[in-house]
Amino acid sequence: MEISSQKKEAYFTATQFQLVRTRFFANRSAMIAGSILLFMIVISLFAGFLSPYDPTIAGRDKQYENGSPELPMFWDENGFSLRPFIHTKSKYRGADTNFRWVYKVDTEKRKYLQFFVKGWEYKYFKWSINLPGKKFDFKIPGLTFDTHLFGVDSGGIHIFGTDKAGKDLFSRTLAAIYISLAVGTLGVFISFVLSLIVGGIAGYYGGWIDGIAQMFTDAVRTIPPIPLFMCLAAFAPDTWSSEMRFFFISCLLGFISWPTLARRVRTHLLTERSQEYILAAKLCGASSTHIIIRHLLPSFTSYIIVDLVISFPYMLLSETALSFIGLGLREPVNSLGVLLQSATRADVLLNYQWYFLPVLVLITLILSFVFVGDGLRDAADPHKNK
Amino acid sequence: MINFIQFTMTRAVMAVFTLFIVSLIVFTLMELVPGTCAERYLAFKNTQGSGITVEDIEAEKRRLGLDRPFPVRFGSWIKNIVVDGDFGDSCILRVSINELLKERFFISLAICITALIFSYLIAIPVGIISATTKFSSIDTILKFISYLGIALPNFLVALCIMLFMTVYYGDTMTGLFSEKYQNAPWSVDRVKDFLSRAWLPIFVLGWNATAFALQTVRALILDEHGKLYVMAARARGISGMSLLWRYPAKHSLGPVINSLGFDLNRIFSALPVVALILVLTEAGALLIEALARSNDQQLAGAIIFLLTATIVFVNFITDIMLAIIDPRIRKGVMGGD
Repeated sequence: MEISSQKKEAYFTATQFQLVRTRFFANRSAMIAGSILLFMIVISLFAGFLSPYDPTIAGRDKQYENGSPELPMFWDENGFSLRPFIHTKSKYRGADTNFRWVYKVDTEKRKYLQFFVKGWEYKYFKWSINLPGKKFDFKIPGLTFDTHLFGVDSGGIHIFGTDKAGKDLFSRTLAAIYISLAVGTLGVFISFVLSLIVGGIAGYYGGWIDGIAQMFTDAVRTIPPIPLFMCLAAFAPDTWSSEMRFFFISCLLGFISWPTLARRVRTHLLTERSQEYILAAKLCGASSTHIIIRHLLPSFTSYIIVDLVISFPYMLLSETALSFIGLGLREPVNSLGVLLQSATRADVLLNYQWYFLPVLVLITLILSFVFVGDGLRDAADPHKNK
Repeated sequence: MINFIQFTMTRAVMAVFTLFIVSLIVFTLMELVPGTCAERYLAFKNTQGSGITVEDIEAEKRRLGLDRPFPVRFGSWIKNIVVDGDFGDSCILRVSINELLKERFFISLAICITALIFSYLIAIPVGIISATTKFSSIDTILKFISYLGIALPNFLVALCIMLFMTVYYGDTMTGLFSEKYQNAPWSVDRVKDFLSRAWLPIFVLGWNATAFALQTVRALILDEHGKLYVMAARARGISGMSLLWRYPAKHSLGPVINSLGFDLNRIFSALPVVALILVLTEAGALLIEALARSNDQQLAGAIIFLLTATIVFVNFITDIMLAIIDPRIRKGVMGGD
């Protein structure tokens, strides 16, 4: 009896955030998806440390082009080893292979896995802006590291295989997760700000302003997003640097996905603005900005967060689709779409199926986002008690 | 009845207005693309060996009417489309866009609409099953499949199918026609050939749409299922399938019809990328070609305008259908009984 009343007490005094958190933690599939997502984010942040080679052309392995994945093993015919190893491969081409390069595995020679090896250099907190005019250029050199989690004593190890130029697919995938997440985050942020402005103005003032804003958002929503996207992305001249392109694509993602969110913000504001506490604030002489920021925004923060998480996978998918057809990001930037670009060629389909490994990563990433989004939506729903 | 006509007219005016805003957006975008049609025309001539000057470009601009102010050009663009149904000439290919798009657009439309119909044919019964077996293992499996349908974008599905086909059959199954019928006039054999290949793009495009439709149907049925009128019907002794079909399913029909326009929007959105992978020769593929390879603004604008016009039209039709089917809206529209 005592415990249940304590529980009740805890339930009724809990803040909105605590309630959402408790409900979310109770949702098993969302929790699993959440941990996978967290794992992905962490490995993408430590991509430099985890990837044995430079993901750009600088890190190519000339001795191993279009090479198949090499998984470390603990034993072979020659016995067991506590330190994982891979076999050495040598290039071979002849009449029997149709004059295509193939790799012969030499099971006698082992390459042992080493940990915390020194390798290519990667930087954190490096930040430079190159605006027109010398005065506005500034650079933060950042911190440089060269330690990597694993490597082999001689030659290379490519656990996801290599691509046509000999770039390590594992390193590229890690870099791609980071870039894709970064594009998505920036895009979500821009669409969030835009929808707050448009939805906020429409919902708060109502009347004819609302009517015009609605007409406009509805018209934008009717245009199929990806074709519109392609149209906009075609503006980017080829001469732009990859950073510029990255920023441009993120902006586009944000500009295209705001109408749905703006609509939600508007609907919520329309119902909320006639509440008594808003009237009270108005009577106290509070300004519109003050009411919106201090009273209205906090009332639906949780919905906004949920909507942002839900819109994230669509950002990722749009970016992938765009990069995939060559209108989005381009090499040397690695994104999941860029990685998929080369996978459509017939010889890749027939001979080098490991090009599809990033696809699995993409699917996992998007599925976990969808599950987390759903879990959050259920958790933030006040009608779903307990 | 007069109310109904009035309702239809208002909707039609609204649709035309939306279309106007859309065409304004599309036309502005076309204008913003770096370079003009005149420059493209002459760049082509340049590759043929004849030198060009600034005067040539100016003369070409005058000939194409590009020296007129923006509103005038927009007006004439709209007028040509609405009055003559003429989209002008493509900048790069230098042929009439109508000629280019005529067949391709209707093929794309047929594929997309078939995909939409199939997705609902699958989603409605499966969604109902999923909703009635809530929280059982069938529901969990169906739910996971529908999540997968959302997470696996169409172009990845297309890629995976191609991977499978090449590994096991040695044929990629791409294209809409086999070589023999590629440029042949329409005939019974050509239609047969088309059908034998069109199932793949239809499946790929329908894949996501089915997943989304499945979730919509499931959520709607679940929402309605707990309501009092369903409980009242159950208390009267109606049960099983007849209960489901007569009450919750009937009520969910409205929102389903309402979402048709957005589903078509989603399918159109996926079309270009899928068309690129499956090497289809229709409007979507042409759009990519127009944008990615050559910045052909005239052609791209025409395609986006056509796609959006189709969606606006479908939205208009579904609005009217809703007014006829849903008694709640019907009462509001037609008044009285």
